[in-house]
Amino acid sequence: MGKLFKTNFNTAVIVLIPACIGINYLGKLFASVLKLPLWLDSIGTCIGAVLGGPIIGAICGAINNLIYGFTTGDNVTLCYALTSLFIGLAVGVMARLGFMETFPKSLLTACAGGLAAVVVSTPLNVLFWGGTTGNVWGDALFAWTQANQMTVSIGSFLDEIVVDVPDKLITLIVVYFIIKGLPKKLTALYDVNAVVTSLD
Amino acid sequence: MKSISLYQANGSWLTRLHPFTKLFYLVAAVSVPLIQGSLAMFLVTIFLSLLLLHSAHLVRKAVPLLAFSFTIILTIVLIQSLFNHANVHVLFSIGFLHFYREGLLYAAHIGGNILNMLLAFAILVLTTAPEELVEELEKKGFSPKFGYIINSVFQIIPEMIGTMHTISDAQRSRGMETEGNLRTRIKAFLPLISPVVMSALTNTRERAIALEVRGFGARARKTYLYEHPYQKNDQIIKWLSLAALAGSVLFRIVCLIQR
Repeated sequence: MGKLFKTNFNTAVIVLIPACIGINYLGKLFASVLKLPLWLDSIGTCIGAVLGGPIIGAICGAINNLIYGFTTGDNVTLCYALTSLFIGLAVGVMARLGFMETFPKSLLTACAGGLAAVVVSTPLNVLFWGGTTGNVWGDALFAWTQANQMTVSIGSFLDEIVVDVPDKLITLIVVYFIIKGLPKKLTALYDVNAVVTSLD
Repeated sequence: MKSISLYQANGSWLTRLHPFTKLFYLVAAVSVPLIQGSLAMFLVTIFLSLLLLHSAHLVRKAVPLLAFSFTIILTIVLIQSLFNHANVHVLFSIGFLHFYREGLLYAAHIGGNILNMLLAFAILVLTTAPEELVEELEKKGFSPKFGYIINSVFQIIPEMIGTMHTISDAQRSRGMETEGNLRTRIKAFLPLISPVVMSALTNTRERAIALEVRGFGARARKTYLYEHPYQKNDQIIKWLSLAALAGSVLFRIVCLIQR
């Protein structure tokens, strides 16, 4: 267990975090420029989690939402810092367990990240928005469940699943190809098990 | 390069307040109505926040921050007043749609909460420079490494947006389509984002070396360039906020005892 969460806080890792948050921001921006029906705002969090481990992933996610709050004035995203935190944590743990090595395995990581997001955001959605998520498809489904006398929590849960799981699948596919393309001299900086040897 | 922070340096009295004072107000304005629990209290805090924004000539700047929430609040009002489980009393009907009182009240609570939080937060965001808040937090013992992370995000994002424009232009000049049906747009996503991400990640290596050379990892005690002592206004707002918070808790306790 100790090894799973092992993190080194050297300068390279500290610098990685703002870069990851920038990537999150760009993902969101591109998704809105291209008018894609997904959020794609956790690409950076996942990259941080895969390279730096679960703790770095969690920090990326939490600070990311903190800064969104400051740049859009939308403080409800502050509460969703918890969701981003758990996405980073889940993806980081899966990556440390070796689930980012091959393409099919990375899809499992995506499901884990998506489920983490669903489990954490459903109570938040119920609390702040009365169950809706703000995504057109998900909210249509929510309205349908409410019209059919299902409870708010089940409706909100389904609402989240149809939005979050496909979102995380696309995200992790992008992340997988990016990580595979990174040069070794860069990824070596974040290796927790690296040992520095000296010649004398 | 355009800054992504919403800070408006218009020199109003709110910008001159200590960042912590605005934090105290934010906490009080958000939690007092939640603790006290009545719809009227939301109106009081919303009005108070609007008054403060008006005194700093920032109401117009705050409108875009609220605009996005209106569609969401509208969705909530529609869904809750039509389908809420507690719905018994019909308030009014439009055609075959029946709007119920219970759902509408519930939606009003949620909407009031959202508006109240957004307005209180707008005061902090519009009148506080992020660097200033981070520096004050560092003085109180917040880790300087985290301080660096937050400050550098505000520099990195405009830089990355610049790179993004360069890359979009480059890919378009090679004939890539970024408009059209959903499939074309999805296909455009990867060639657009991957060069930006790759360059951002490779840049971190150089940035790390540059920081190390300037003693980023040094353990020595750091000194600060700016001083920002508490003024009279800061004290007044701070203690009023704390008193309001204590008052609402007391009110709730008295209510519970009487029941």
